[in-house]
Amino acid sequence: MWMVNVRSPHGARRLALGMFALLLAALLLFPGQSQGLLDYLDGPVGQLVRLPLEAVSSLDQGISAMWQQYVSLQHVADENRRLKQEMDWLRGEINQLREAGSATQRLTSLLQFKEQALPAMVAAQVIGRDSSNRYRSVILNKGESDGIQKDMGVIIPAGVVGRVVKTTGATAVVLLLTDPNNAIAGLIQRTRDEGIVEGVPQGRAKLKYIPMLSALKEGDRVVTSGLVGGFPRGLAIGTITAIDREEGALFQTAELAPEVDLNRVEEVLVIQAPQSQSADQTARPDPGTKR
Amino acid sequence: MKKFLGYTGLVMLLVPVQTTLLPHVAIWDIKPDLGLVVAALVGVLAGELHGLIVGLAIGWILNLYSAGDLWLNLVTTGGAGLFAGLLARQVAEITPTILAVGLLFLSLAGGLVAVLNMKSATMADTWWMIQFVVVPQAFFDTAVGAGLLWFLEQRFAVPRFGMLDRYS
Repeated sequence: MWMVNVRSPHGARRLALGMFALLLAALLLFPGQSQGLLDYLDGPVGQLVRLPLEAVSSLDQGISAMWQQYVSLQHVADENRRLKQEMDWLRGEINQLREAGSATQRLTSLLQFKEQALPAMVAAQVIGRDSSNRYRSVILNKGESDGIQKDMGVIIPAGVVGRVVKTTGATAVVLLLTDPNNAIAGLIQRTRDEGIVEGVPQGRAKLKYIPMLSALKEGDRVVTSGLVGGFPRGLAIGTITAIDREEGALFQTAELAPEVDLNRVEEVLVIQAPQSQSADQTARPDPGTKR
Repeated sequence: MKKFLGYTGLVMLLVPVQTTLLPHVAIWDIKPDLGLVVAALVGVLAGELHGLIVGLAIGWILNLYSAGDLWLNLVTTGGAGLFAGLLARQVAEITPTILAVGLLFLSLAGGLVAVLNMKSATMADTWWMIQFVVVPQAFFDTAVGAGLLWFLEQRFAVPRFGMLDRYS
């Protein structure tokens, strides 16, 4: 019987090339099956890798916190002044919104609209960034065992962060809003025109497929439309910074500045409801679940 | 067994280094692909079979923490280990310069395969990715790989990574 002698250079070379060719053939001919085979192992391996990952991440966060609290204090006074101005401005806006809110409440009860229920959310911490440079994603410290599934929306109070694209038992990968592979249904708040928000490689986002008759303008805010994907209606996505109206085109495209600074996201909320809201409406939330 | 445990530890340690620590040293949002560098180094120092197996393991585990396709990570990282081993057989001595040239070629090849495989990208996006992601990363990988080899030479007092040192 012919056997490969892995100790000889030629035997090892033949074996390695054979294995690589076999792997390529398996991946190209049976992509689903070969991926499924490895998916079985993802869970236990993910749990194993979680230990060093969380250890290094907590060390990293500790050092970052120390740096921010004690060393990097140069711009604190300026920031403080700016934040105070912003707070005064926001106080005024809150008063206006209170008025608008009470009017909306009266009209809602008058028209007997059904109130939009707040979705169930799980809080998670960002413990890393995508292992490659080609995708814009972050890694969360919670996964399937915490009820996180693929396609769930991820937000912070300021706005949309992205969408879960991959999970292991202990972690989840969130594709950020600015990744070209991401697509979220968006709505221009002022004109109520819908479109699809996609990332661009340069790290911003664009709103595509806006009707040609839409009277959008720079500075318009774009929110989630709630029609598809894991997001309820009305979450902030970004602000329009430029509009592209090509002659003869069927749609307009607008450039967006994301509402959230995606390079500085540390804690996020994963929206569980759009997939399981109806089934779990009466179920008791998990201890880690916020409402 | 000792070698297996060493490789396992190395692969597990790579995940937090690549995903948590390296983003801090990223230049213009580009960080080196340590998985590719380590797979290539293992291929050079321990032979193509070890390079392939370690590369596949690295590609698979790092893929758990990336939004990319599994097959692409397996092929690029496993391929880097395999081809680094095969190329290393063609030279008498492995020096940081030789390794740098090889790594530049492997990183560019892997990056191009990945970028050309992106379905949603337009021609302009692809060209932008090549200019601002693939090429800078290849140079970054090259520098890190050459630096690591130089460090290994210094730390372990191996004057030359010649054929006999590698495969005896």
